[in-house]
Amino acid sequence: MPVIVDPDLCNGCHNAKQPPCVRMCPGDLIVKDFNSNKAYLKYVDDCWDCLPCVKACPEEAIRFQLSYQMGYFNATLQPHVHKDRQHITWTCVDAKGNSEEFQIRTKVLPVALDEKLDDDLTPDFSI
Amino acid sequence: MERSEQQAINRVVHESDILIIGGGTSGCLAATELKEHYPDLDVHIVEKAHVDRSGCLAAGMNAINAYLNPGETAESFVKYVRYDSCGLIREDLVQSMAELFEYSVKKVENWGLPILCDDDGNYVPRGRWNIKINGESLKPILAKAARDSGARIHNWVVVTDLLMDGDRCAGAVGFSLRTNTFYIFKAKAVIIATGGAAGLYKPNNAADAQHKTWYSPFNNGAGYAMGIRAGAEMTSFEMRYVALRTKDAIAPTGTLALGVGAPLVNAKGERFMQTKYRHLGGDGAPTPYRAYGPIQEVKEGRGPCYLDTTHITEEQSRQLKSAYLDMYPSQVLYWAANNIDPAQHPVEVQTTEPYVVGGHCQGGYWIDVDRRSTVPGLFAAGDVAGGAPFKFVSGCWAEGIIAARAAGKEVSGMAMPQVDEAQIDAAYERTFEPLFNYSKIKYGVRPYDMEVRLQKIMEEYAGGASCNYEMNEERLMMARQHLAELPDQFDQLVVEDTHDLMRAHEVLDRVVVAQVLVEHLMARKETRWPAYQTRTDYPERDDLNWLHFVNTRRDPANGEISVIMHPYEQLIPGDRYHPGAAPKKPTA
Repeated sequence: MPVIVDPDLCNGCHNAKQPPCVRMCPGDLIVKDFNSNKAYLKYVDDCWDCLPCVKACPEEAIRFQLSYQMGYFNATLQPHVHKDRQHITWTCVDAKGNSEEFQIRTKVLPVALDEKLDDDLTPDFSI
Repeated sequence: MERSEQQAINRVVHESDILIIGGGTSGCLAATELKEHYPDLDVHIVEKAHVDRSGCLAAGMNAINAYLNPGETAESFVKYVRYDSCGLIREDLVQSMAELFEYSVKKVENWGLPILCDDDGNYVPRGRWNIKINGESLKPILAKAARDSGARIHNWVVVTDLLMDGDRCAGAVGFSLRTNTFYIFKAKAVIIATGGAAGLYKPNNAADAQHKTWYSPFNNGAGYAMGIRAGAEMTSFEMRYVALRTKDAIAPTGTLALGVGAPLVNAKGERFMQTKYRHLGGDGAPTPYRAYGPIQEVKEGRGPCYLDTTHITEEQSRQLKSAYLDMYPSQVLYWAANNIDPAQHPVEVQTTEPYVVGGHCQGGYWIDVDRRSTVPGLFAAGDVAGGAPFKFVSGCWAEGIIAARAAGKEVSGMAMPQVDEAQIDAAYERTFEPLFNYSKIKYGVRPYDMEVRLQKIMEEYAGGASCNYEMNEERLMMARQHLAELPDQFDQLVVEDTHDLMRAHEVLDRVVVAQVLVEHLMARKETRWPAYQTRTDYPERDDLNWLHFVNTRRDPANGEISVIMHPYEQLIPGDRYHPGAAPKKPTA
């Protein structure tokens, strides 16, 4: 499983209907469960490992590891966007537990906690 | 279906001067250029994800790979691309985009993209055509500019087909992933910028890594498919893109080959490009040969192949990882998860599933120099546009700009085209059929099932990776025959929500693209681009008979695909091949 929303850290972005992870996934793969008020990767097999969801999460609640077929447990890679939004620090932990950090210049634009839908019609399509 | 179900879907009509389908690399630049030059025009972008992170640039980019570094010109660029594409490109298209590299790159730099500069403020080159950037946030930067320009953006709207006013394109229809809405976009002109097609062949990895692809797995060739259905002429699909990428992670290798000068070696440590392909340019041979070479090494028992990075220092190794983090973070995690340090271990490479993509190769709409397709009112830009390889990011920007300028000029003073209601009703039925089938069909076909069937046919009969990308007439006939069955099954697709409705349209668009691709592969009876198009029955390049573009057009009336040939025109004088690969004398 490539990205995992940690239910202990996710707060559903409070009452957001479209929290950042849901909006930023280019594949429409992450949904928010309004009963538990937590987001989760609904379509696990379709993830591209592109990480906009991880970077946009204000709680840093989304963990990035590789599909097990791609590499060994328990390697992870986590970005941390600095407050000035001019840098990201990536922490990469290898399968043996060694950690390496990278600080990279960027220009991260602010991501709102929620966003109104186009033509704001009835949400939640169902038949 | 029940009448009540039909009524549950809202219909929303938007009229605009120009509709841009796809808010990615090209679409965002088309929008900003239009609003800058024609502020009074009403411009709409329709995007199936959210423009902030949609399309190929979702993860970011670490270089602009089509730029004229000091000493280079649009002409020298055309010559290089012509050489790299084995002597056959639309030189007019490539030249016109090269003339806008600087304009587009400066524009995006002004919007805030960090570009690496030396102490004198000059861009840091990475090869003849490449400059280094910190492009992790490239896509949000483009999206913000599009939003700020005043263009109206419709996120999460999946376009399913074009609307026509007679022979003229008059807009598009689609559905919302988030609300129960059917969208009708009427427009005086349409710029299509939906990207190329992944997922036509079996992916490199399986199960929960099936989308661990290089090209965006969400780019399904929708723009090709809707143009094909409307009767637009397509070119050069047979120049598939088979990319040399890192093993498993499928990350780009320019960062290794250009970034740290890593040569290709086989399992014996032999630099086979320098020996076996010296006459074609060695390590600098055209890109298809740099995929074909390793494929042959593996096939003949000298795999795995590597990009040999073992000469780099630990500091360079860290810089490499930093570069990947800006574009393809999973490569860094892959190394960590597999105990690989590129300074200690050569980086294993493999070749990808074949893609149809007009930005690296040249499969796409047949267009004029203004990026007009053969359907009036329909422009094409970026990966969906054909004839101009080596676009990458900045060439897609340039094409968005060119299309925008021409479309803006064209619609000035034009009346809104007419679209009859019967056409809209038919498009509505077609769009929602798999969803309506949910209550009508007990046992149907899931989009995933059809996708796997399609990929199996293409993989085995139309030159997939497991067949070393090889094909012949007989196999292609089998592909054609099997593919012909699939459209008859479209009405058996069943889905239960809008996400899966998107997946249904993705697969039926892929089938249409695959059918056209097979016709292209059958038509070209030579091997011009080994690996991209390895014809075992016609293994040589044949300039005498095949220095032509292979185009196709599907007749909207009966669905028949006809092949059309267009001669190549050389505009920039000079050699078209490496001196060692000069055309053989015709043997008639």
